[in-house]
Amino acid sequence: MDNTIEITGLRKEYKGFTLDDVTFTVPRGYIMGLIGPNGAGKTTIVKLIMNLIRRDAGEVRVFGMDNLRHEPEVKARIGFVYDAPRFPEDLRLETIASAISAFYEKWDGRRFRNLLEEFQLSPRQVFKKLSHGMKMKFSLAIALAHDADLILMDEPTAGLDPVFRFDLLTKLRALIQDERKTVLFSSHITSDLERVADFVTFVHKGRLVFSAAKDDILETWGVVRVSGDGISPAEVPGARGFRRTEHSLGVLTSDIAAARGRFGASVVCDMASLEDIMFFISKGNAHV
Amino acid sequence: MFKILRLEFLFNRWQLLTVLAIFTAYFAYMAYQIDSPRIFVVTMSIMIGLSMPFIILGREDKFKTAALMCSLPVRRTTIVLGKYAATWGAIGLGLGYALLFKAVFPFSKFAIGEILTARNFLVSLFLISLIVAVILPFTIRFGLTGIIILLVSGQLLGILALILTQALGGASNPMRFFFRAVKSGLQTLLTREAAPGFQLTLVAAIVAVNAASLFISRALYARRDL
Repeated sequence: MDNTIEITGLRKEYKGFTLDDVTFTVPRGYIMGLIGPNGAGKTTIVKLIMNLIRRDAGEVRVFGMDNLRHEPEVKARIGFVYDAPRFPEDLRLETIASAISAFYEKWDGRRFRNLLEEFQLSPRQVFKKLSHGMKMKFSLAIALAHDADLILMDEPTAGLDPVFRFDLLTKLRALIQDERKTVLFSSHITSDLERVADFVTFVHKGRLVFSAAKDDILETWGVVRVSGDGISPAEVPGARGFRRTEHSLGVLTSDIAAARGRFGASVVCDMASLEDIMFFISKGNAHV
Repeated sequence: MFKILRLEFLFNRWQLLTVLAIFTAYFAYMAYQIDSPRIFVVTMSIMIGLSMPFIILGREDKFKTAALMCSLPVRRTTIVLGKYAATWGAIGLGLGYALLFKAVFPFSKFAIGEILTARNFLVSLFLISLIVAVILPFTIRFGLTGIIILLVSGQLLGILALILTQALGGASNPMRFFFRAVKSGLQTLLTREAAPGFQLTLVAAIVAVNAASLFISRALYARRDL
């Protein structure tokens, strides 16, 4: 499979937080969701791909090129959407777009105007007068107007109403239909990822937990629930985390079939959602 | 670099014009009050050298557009070069406006011809270069916080220098020697005969100061996390 992004042994150290040894790939023509709780390192990874922060170790290759050595070539093919748009607030949308368009050879003015129209934005509107959702729409229009091969978005759906979130996700899904474009977006809203992502990469406390096809995860991961002290978490095959309450125990497993085989009907085995996985790994009492 | 220059122009044009409009009152006051062409050149240079970079870099800091700039398909070294070009462009605009105003202002104490000399031009550029050379690396690396730290540090150093000058006493103490050297340097700059050698030295100093500042800014910006 052709990869749009290849990240190897990525490391970034901050005071009190270290992103360490992150390795994963994003295949071309697919949507990958980067999930994890707040402070897990999602934004750090996105910023490292964009070279907005310096890496301490590791390698980032985008379109087969090193993202530092070939910075302009790589960025020319990326449509980047920030978690909070960084445009001069007192300018009209058309002025901002005019300033930015000069940097992209493939900027398509007509496409940009169509996108604004589709998002119900006027080029003469002043940026600071837009709502958060409208600002995100404008950022997305900028990112899509130069026919980028990779759409990279940091928490694009945070703070958006469900209607626009749905529209945005539908748009992303439509975007990759030509099998040439790739989308990587970070989010802590797992339902968004379940709706559109083909692959999911989960980071927690600066470390990679897994990076795999979403369907594989949803088919193999599960939660074993048992009341009382019938079993211990270590007995569950593929156990990745557990949560114990006064009367019950829930164990997250990456091999629900093996767990079913082991315990049969004596326990309840549910398929795990991405939210379950995030909850058990980040909020569970302990890892097994 | 020209794309960065264009972007800075589009992002800051109205603010630059607004500041120049506000400066009109200041220039009018200077032209009306100051009867020495040299003092006019020095005060105008300091004022423009301090204010114009702040407009561009201050707005960038306010709206956090450095992250936008660095997400565009250009290298950081090019961005820094573009910022220097934009700053000097804004300074050129300020100087041009100040001179034009001086030329048409009817109540000037002296004629515009008295300040339109190669020496005055070079002295003005040299003074502005000194200011810009210090301000830009700090602001490019640390934003407005950096410049506030720089200004506060300057104030504290000034207070410390005054206290030391008083405490050490005597005409030959090192602080007084330092101040005399600065004063004499400025006097030489402003009164020395404008021989070709002197002008050439000034040009070399302007180039060296800007090149050193640009070199430092590039190194600092490359290390900046956004």
